[in-house]
Order: sequence, then C-alpha cells, then structure tokens
Amino acid sequence: MASILKSFLEWLRSLFFKTELELTLVGLQNSGKTTLVNVIASGQFSEDMIPTVGFNMRKVTKGSVTMKLWDIGGQPRFRSMWERYCRGVNAIVFVVDSADHEKLDAARQELRNLLDKPQLASIPVLVLGNKNDLEDALPVDKLIEEMNLKSINNREVSCYSISAKNQVNIDITLQWLIKKGKGSK
Amino acid sequence: MNLSKKDEDSGDLGVFYHLDKTTVLQEARVFNESPIVPRKCRLLLTKIIYLLYLGEPMATTEATELFFSVTKLFQSKDTALRQMVYLVIKELSTVAEDVIMVTSSLMKDMQPKSEVIYRANAIRALCKIIDASMLPSVERFLKAAIVDKTPSISSSAMVSSYHLFPAGKDVIKRWANEVNEAINSKPSSIVGTASSYLTSFSSSGSSYNSQPSSTSNINQYHALGLIYMIRQHDRMAVTKLIQQLAGSSRGTFGSSSGILRNSFAYCLLIRYAAKILDEDPNSRQQMYDLLEVWLRHKSDIVNFEAAKAICNIKDVTSKELYPAVNVLQLFLSSPKSTLRFAAIRTLNKLAMTQPTAVQSCNLDMENLITDQNRSVATFAITTLLKTGNEASVDRLMKQITGFMSEISDEFKVIVVDAIRSLCLKFPSKQVVMLSFLSGVLRDEGGYEFKRAVVEAIFDLVKFIPESKEAALAHLCEFIEDCEFTKLSVRVLHLLGVEGPKTPTPTKYIRYIYNRVILENSIVRAAAVSALAKFGVSAEDPEVKKSIKVLLTRCLDDNDDEVRDRAILYLKLIDDNESAEKYVKDDSTYSLAALERQLVQYVSNPESSEKPFDLSDIPKITKAQAEAENLKPRSFDLASTQTIGTSSSAVGSINSNIVSTSRDATPTPGVDQQQVYSQQLEQIPEIAAFGPLFKSSIKPVELTESETEYVVSCVKHMFKENMVFQFIVTNTLNDQLLENVTVVMQPESDEGTLVEEFVIPATKLPYDQPSSIYVAFKRTNPEEYTLGSFSNTLKFLVKDCDPSTGEADEGEGYEDEYLVEDIEIVTSDYVFPTYISDFSSAWDSVGEEGQVVETFALTASKSLKDSCTTLIELLGMSPVENSGTPTSSSVHTLMLSGTFLGGIKVLAKNRMTFAPSTGVTMELSVRSPSEEISRIVIGAVV
Repeated sequence: MASILKSFLEWLRSLFFKTELELTLVGLQNSGKTTLVNVIASGQFSEDMIPTVGFNMRKVTKGSVTMKLWDIGGQPRFRSMWERYCRGVNAIVFVVDSADHEKLDAARQELRNLLDKPQLASIPVLVLGNKNDLEDALPVDKLIEEMNLKSINNREVSCYSISAKNQVNIDITLQWLIKKGKGSK
Repeated sequence: MNLSKKDEDSGDLGVFYHLDKTTVLQEARVFNESPIVPRKCRLLLTKIIYLLYLGEPMATTEATELFFSVTKLFQSKDTALRQMVYLVIKELSTVAEDVIMVTSSLMKDMQPKSEVIYRANAIRALCKIIDASMLPSVERFLKAAIVDKTPSISSSAMVSSYHLFPAGKDVIKRWANEVNEAINSKPSSIVGTASSYLTSFSSSGSSYNSQPSSTSNINQYHALGLIYMIRQHDRMAVTKLIQQLAGSSRGTFGSSSGILRNSFAYCLLIRYAAKILDEDPNSRQQMYDLLEVWLRHKSDIVNFEAAKAICNIKDVTSKELYPAVNVLQLFLSSPKSTLRFAAIRTLNKLAMTQPTAVQSCNLDMENLITDQNRSVATFAITTLLKTGNEASVDRLMKQITGFMSEISDEFKVIVVDAIRSLCLKFPSKQVVMLSFLSGVLRDEGGYEFKRAVVEAIFDLVKFIPESKEAALAHLCEFIEDCEFTKLSVRVLHLLGVEGPKTPTPTKYIRYIYNRVILENSIVRAAAVSALAKFGVSAEDPEVKKSIKVLLTRCLDDNDDEVRDRAILYLKLIDDNESAEKYVKDDSTYSLAALERQLVQYVSNPESSEKPFDLSDIPKITKAQAEAENLKPRSFDLASTQTIGTSSSAVGSINSNIVSTSRDATPTPGVDQQQVYSQQLEQIPEIAAFGPLFKSSIKPVELTESETEYVVSCVKHMFKENMVFQFIVTNTLNDQLLENVTVVMQPESDEGTLVEEFVIPATKLPYDQPSSIYVAFKRTNPEEYTLGSFSNTLKFLVKDCDPSTGEADEGEGYEDEYLVEDIEIVTSDYVFPTYISDFSSAWDSVGEEGQVVETFALTASKSLKDSCTTLIELLGMSPVENSGTPTSSSVHTLMLSGTFLGGIKVLAKNRMTFAPSTGVTMELSVRSPSEEISRIVIGAVV
C-alpha cells in the first residue's frame, strides 16, 4: 500500500516538477559523441559508426526529465557551427577521446575557442574523457591538467572519465546533467 | 479598404497580405524557443516560403541565420511541421551557407524505419544540399530507395538522382540496374500513405496529401527520364531501351500487361524515339513503325505526342504523314479545347512546310474559325491561309478582319506573318492583303505587332512591284501618326531608298519633311537622310533645288545630329562624285568579318599603335548581306530543326570561349568554322598560314567510341597549307600519356604534300581531350592533291593513380596506336556559299569554264538520296531550296560554293529517277577556270 502511495506521489511530483533539459554535445571527430547519445538514449553500444555530417537531434526521457540532445559533428568543417547550437542550452558537454593523446592539444584549443564566445558566457561545461576502457586512456586528474580546465574560472566546469562502451560513469554523468536542469528552474 | 476587408474574410490569405521580410525574420526567433509550438512555426515557415516565391531577395547571412534557426525544428516530431522544414531547407539550400549541416538529420529521416512521408521528402531535400563528393556516402540509401515499393519514395529518389546527375555522373551511372528494376516493377498493391507526385523533373514542389497508393505509375516516367540520362550518349542502348519498352506492349493495348502503364512515360519514350530517328537514318523505318503504332494507343496524349513526332520528322513523306494527320484531324473535332488547340497548333506548323498534307483537314479547320477559343480560331485561320487556294483567300480575309480586334497581339503577329507569306504566294491578291495590312496598321497595337505589319509591307514593296506605290502611300500615312521611333526611322529609310525610283517622288517629300518639323531628333535625323537621297537621285533640277531649300532649313535645328547631317548632305548634293561614294554606294562591310577583325585588334595590345585597317575586310553588296540574312530566315521556315541546331551551336561557342579549351565540341554548324579559326589563331605557327579557308564540318571519327584512346580528326584548309587537328581522348583512368604525336604516312607519295611540323600534346590525362596538330604544305599551289593518309599515334605511357591522376614514379614506356585512315577529298577544297539568285549568277559565270558530264547511278534508291550524296561529295551549298526534291521522278539541284583561292563554283544537276534504272543525272559545273570545274566534277567520278 505504501509503495503504491509512494509511486502515486512520485507521479504527482513528476507532473509538477517535470524538467526539460537542453544539452549540446561537441568535441573533436571520433571522440564518441553519437555513441554516447545512443548509450544514453537506448543503452546500446555499437562499434560501427559513421561520422556525423552536420548534427543529430535526440530527445530522451529519463524519469521526469526530458533531455534534448544536440549532437554536432566534430569534423573541422563543422566546428565553426558549434556555437550556434550551444546558445542558450543548459549545459555544454565536451567529449574528449582520452586515449588519443595526439589530439588533446587540438581539443584543448577548440574548447578554449568555444568558451571564449561571449554568447556562451556562464553556461556550465562538462568535459568527458571518453574511452577509459582503452589501455592508454588518461586518468581524470591527468585529463584535467592536459585540458587546462583549472584555468576556466568564469563558469562551472566538471570533468569525468567515462566509457560509453562499458557504461562506466554514465550514471554520474546523467546525475550531473539532470542537476543542471533542476538548478536552472 | 475594400480589398483588405475582403482579405480578412477570406481567412488564411489575410496572413500573407503585406508580408514584410524583416518582420518575418524577427518572428523566426520562435524557432529557437523551447518548447516548440508546431502550429505557430508552421505558419511562419509558410510565410517564409511565400516570401521566397514572391522573389524577395535574401542575403547570405540572413539566409544562413534563418537556416540554422530552422534546423532547431528537427526536435519536433510534428509531421506537418517537418514537411514544411524540408521545403524551407530546399528553398534556402541555394542561398544559405553550411547547409550541409542537416545531412545527418535528413539521412536519419530517410532510413527505411522512418515514416514514408518523411522518407520521400527527406530524400528530395538531401539531394539539394549534398554535392558530388558526398554522393558515395549516400549511394547505398538512394539505390535502395530507387527500388522501394512505395512509388513516392522511388520517385523522389529518381527525380533527385536526375538532378544530381550532372554533378555525379560516375556514381549515378552505377545505378542503372536499380532504375531498370523500377521501370519494370509491377504496380504496387501496398495501401500506404504514399502521395502521388505529378510533378515534373523541373519542379521541386512536393505534395503531401495523404491518399491511397497512387495508381498513376508516375515513377515509371521518372525512371525512364533517369535511365535515358544515364544512357543518352549510347545510341545503341537507347534504341534497345525503346524497343524493349515498346515491343512488349505491341498488340496488347488496352490490357495492362505492357511494361509501361504511364502515359507520360510513353510520351517521353516517343521523344527519345524521335530523337533516334532524327540522328540515325538507319533506324528510321523501325522508329517510324513504332510511332505509327503509338498513334493508336488508348491515351490521347500518347497519340498526340506520336503524331507530333511524325510531323516533325525531317523530310517526312506524305505517305508517312498521312496517319498522323488523320489522328490530328480527329482531334480537331474533339470536345476538349486543349486537344483542339494542340492539334491545330501542330497542323499549323506542319502547313509551313507541307501544306498539301494538311489540306485534307480544311473542312474541319473551317469549322474551327468560329471556335469560342480565340487561340484555336487564330491557328485555324492561319493554317487555312497556308493550305487554301487562291479562291478561298478573299473569304478568309473577311473572316480574319472580323476577329482581329478580339485576339491578343501575340496572335495578331501570327496572323500577319501568315498573310505576309500568303502575299508572296499569291501576288495577284496583293490589293486585298495590302488593304487588310493598312487596316490593321491603323488599329491599336504594341510594338511587336506593328513591326510585323510594317515588315510585311516592306516585303510587299520588295517582292511585288505592282504594290509598291500603294504600299508606300500606306507607310507614309502610318508615319504621320506613329508612336514608335524605331519604326518611323525604318519607314523613312525605305522611303528614301524606294521613293526616288517612283514616277512621282515629290509626293513623298512632303510626308518626309513633315517629320522634320514634327518629330523627335532621331526621326528628324532619319528624315534628313531620306530627303537627301531624293536630292541626290532626282533628275529634275527643280526637285533638287527644293530639297536644298528644305535641307537649308534643317540647319537651324537644335539637335547636333540633325544639323550635321543636313550640312553633309548639302555639300554632297552638288558634288556628284562624293555623292556616288557616300549616298548611292550600295556596298557594306561583311559584318561578321569586321567583328572578328575588331575583336582581334582590341585584344592585341601591339596592334593599337597603328590605326585599324579597314581594307582587309571584304566588302559585300547590300544584296549579298540581305541574302545572308535571308538564309537563316528561310531555314527557319523550312524546318524547325535548324533552330535547335543553331542554338546549340551558339551554346557550344559560348562554352568554348568561356573554357578557352583548345578543343571544340563536335557540333556541326555554320559558326563552327569561326570557332576553329579562333582556336587556330592562338597557335603562332598555324596563324602564319594566313586566314583559314575551310574546316571540315564534322570531326571524322578515327576509332570506335569505346576504345582506349578515342581519336577524331578535323581537316583545316589554308591557302597553301593543310592542318590536321587530331582530337584525342584518353579513356583509361590509370594511364597518363605524355608527348603524344601523330605520324601521318601518305598512301601514294607524290611529293606534292610536305609535312611542315607537328604540335604534340605534352600531357594527356584521363578524360581530358587534347589536340595534336599536323601541318602540311602543298608544294605546288596549282595542284589539288587528293588521297589518304595512314595515321599512327605515338606516345609515352605512364601509369597513374586513378583517383588523383598523379603519375607514378618511373620512366614509363613508349607505345603506338594505329587509327583509321583519313582522306583528303575534293569537298575539302570547296566552301559552301549561299547565293540568292542562282540563275543570274549561273549566267554571269558563263560557259567558258563549263564541264558537263552524264552519270547513271543504278544503285541510288531515290532522288533524295542522290541529292544528299552529291551535296556531300561536292561540298557545296544547295540554293533556292533545291536540296530536297519535291517530285519523285524529276529534279534540278542547284549548288553554289567557293573553291580554294576564292574561285566561285556553281553546279547544276538535272536528274531523273525511274525504279528500274535508278537515278540518271546530267551534272554541269561552271567556274571561271575549266580546270577547276574539272576537278570539282572529278569528285563524282
């Protein structure tokens, strides 16, 4: 009886406290943005992905939260357009391939360029070091250092090391994101 | 006030009333809002499209901004909204930047699991935003979509491929099997939410009214269009396609067992068949038979298309025409006005060339004169004018006068043109016609119409001497009250030319002088010139004196031009010698040559140091210039086909100039020569040979079109030299040829031709045609060598990467390639020239250099065949429409040309035909030198 009452209350609460969350995923090509979106949406991981030409839009509902995910292509030709899709979102998710050391420099540079845009001031940023299942993946503190995240002080920045393949740390990522939605309301 | 109220009442339209771009772009911010209100966004998108359709210009930044806002709408699942999004993307795809952004989203929408209505529209939008480089990545999806069971998806994929074809030929060519499958697919029984597309290839609109699976089979039409696009350059394949699609349906009309079930597809097939028939004389009978069968198809539109195709066949015989005309005749009494219009329009065109074939419809056409549809009536009457005999002209004229005021200017022009040709056909009716023309000249009408009437009267003046005085009088009256300066000037000029030759020139002088007093400066200047002509030509000293008085008065004019002319002419009137030179002189410069020389002069900085030299430019008489002008006009009348080819020739010239490539596309045409001449002048060695005399019109194919290296040759003839231009295309994408030359070996070495130099092609990459020039000198200019050459291509082969075209490291190896022989024939030395009056030219050349021979051509099947062969052999131009025999038994072919060195050559060929003996002909060739005549006649032996 208590459980029924509890679930009823839950439903009632969800009616009133339904949150909508808008997120943009950016990052260099082949860092795993589209894969991450698929994992969040359906829990399914696929090895075989094609590069995103342009953007994908996914709507995901988790409990009382509806997330709109803008997954933008990471090839150089699309990077100038990241900003357009980051305006006014609840959070920017910057995905990094933590096992690809050579591209870290470029990733740091692109992140810096993006955050310098006045339109995007004070939007929280979540940096995700993806592919931590690979052997030479950087640990989270190393990644923070490499990406020079400490120097960003005009907004909230967090960094997690995740694996979309093995679904590691996806839950805390979601929690962080959902908090952004609730916090802004 | 009233209008806006009405708009409010009519609901939706009110929203679009007084739309403003700035406001709409402001409103477009709602796209970025969250959550999205589909209804509101949809309305806004509609407004945007409405603005774009009105032609509202949109700057790139505005469009890009708008485009990115619109992409945000992909988050909504609202079907109707998504469709509007597709439409807007298609519209913006040409203006906005970075439209490639929506690629992934559209590709998701066209996946098989997505809704049908999304898929078809997403395919159409996708193909608007991608370029050739992206094509391979969507190839798989498009191929699958082409064979999709839902007609709307299959159609959209094929229409999109059709539009992408110019950019991605190589990729799309691989889809031929899928497209074939789409043509042959059985009608689908799926009842889905497919929409029917009755859009043509050019339209980008799509309808989205949901309805049960379409029964129109329009996708067959689209498939046929695409497969033809893929195969169009392979005549054999197209012929096979036509046979395959037509053959299976023969004898099964009325049942649905034929492959094609769509009438439009049949129409398309008919057009392709007509094209094959036109290009390939060997397939004529076969294609005609198919067309004839289609005349009995169950659909009107197919019958009409077939009949029209038959009517448009070049040199169609009356026997071939008969069934087609019969079908059109039936349509004339159809209750549907579209059918009547289509039929009468085709018959009208046919009547220009084959009036006798149309005569059988006269009775039906007479009924159409009173047709409620004025367009039908106009065509009926003008057709009747062409087919009718002298007796019916009066009655028809009366009827035309009755409804002239009811039809639009465009049709009035058609009527006037018909009457003009009628005048020339029945000169005895000129009084009736002239009074009609002067009548309509007084009516209200625009410039085009008035111009047609004035030109018709000009023709009367020129060709029918009896009408001259009356016609001039009407023109005088016309300029008294003429609102078109251009026409006034032309009439005044004609009065100046013709007036002095009439018995009473003085009566025109009054009209002309009135213009000097009353008109604007342009007309006044023209009037002064006309007056002066009277002054110079007048015999009577009294007239001369009065002209001088009048011109003196013009000296006070306030316009410079008028005064200048008056001063000039006053001086000239008394000075007979300069009057001869400046007023009466009938010659003019050859404008085409003048233009070429001037362009050269301007483009060459060195030449600007000395003044332009006019003496190089050939002078021609006015009569010659007119003959040149008349030539295209008479061609226009003779067959509409020429219009097509001449415009394509112009097109090819433009493209040649733009691309400055050294190779001309092999388009036959009069202007081709000029293109070659321009190209050759670019090469200093060849430019030194002097002006180009003649280029062979069509490149001679020296290889089959599917070989490794495709070679064709154009012969260029100069005064003392000959240049062979070999156009070589390398069709192997893994080879790069270097230092390509041609070794030419004369068959019989008489030493009259000596090779001077070879200009090799330094590099010959894949699929980029390049030219090699081989130049010979004729050692004895008096001898016109004939004979053949064997040709071998020599080159250095290097392997290369097919994708980049970069040659691999390494030396490469020498190779040779033997191509077919090339022949020098008599016609290479003869340039076809057009003359307007053959018999006087014939007499003026005289009999001294005449050579006559008689031939019996037992193998020839008809006079037409022999005419064509003879024209080709002699390389001369048929004049006075003698190129196509009108009778099947007796004919006289008249030819004119210029032999190398500018020697005029004329040929007259009297021929008879009897089925038992073939063609017997007597060929006489005249030229100033008997030797030349003998060489020319030698071409036939």
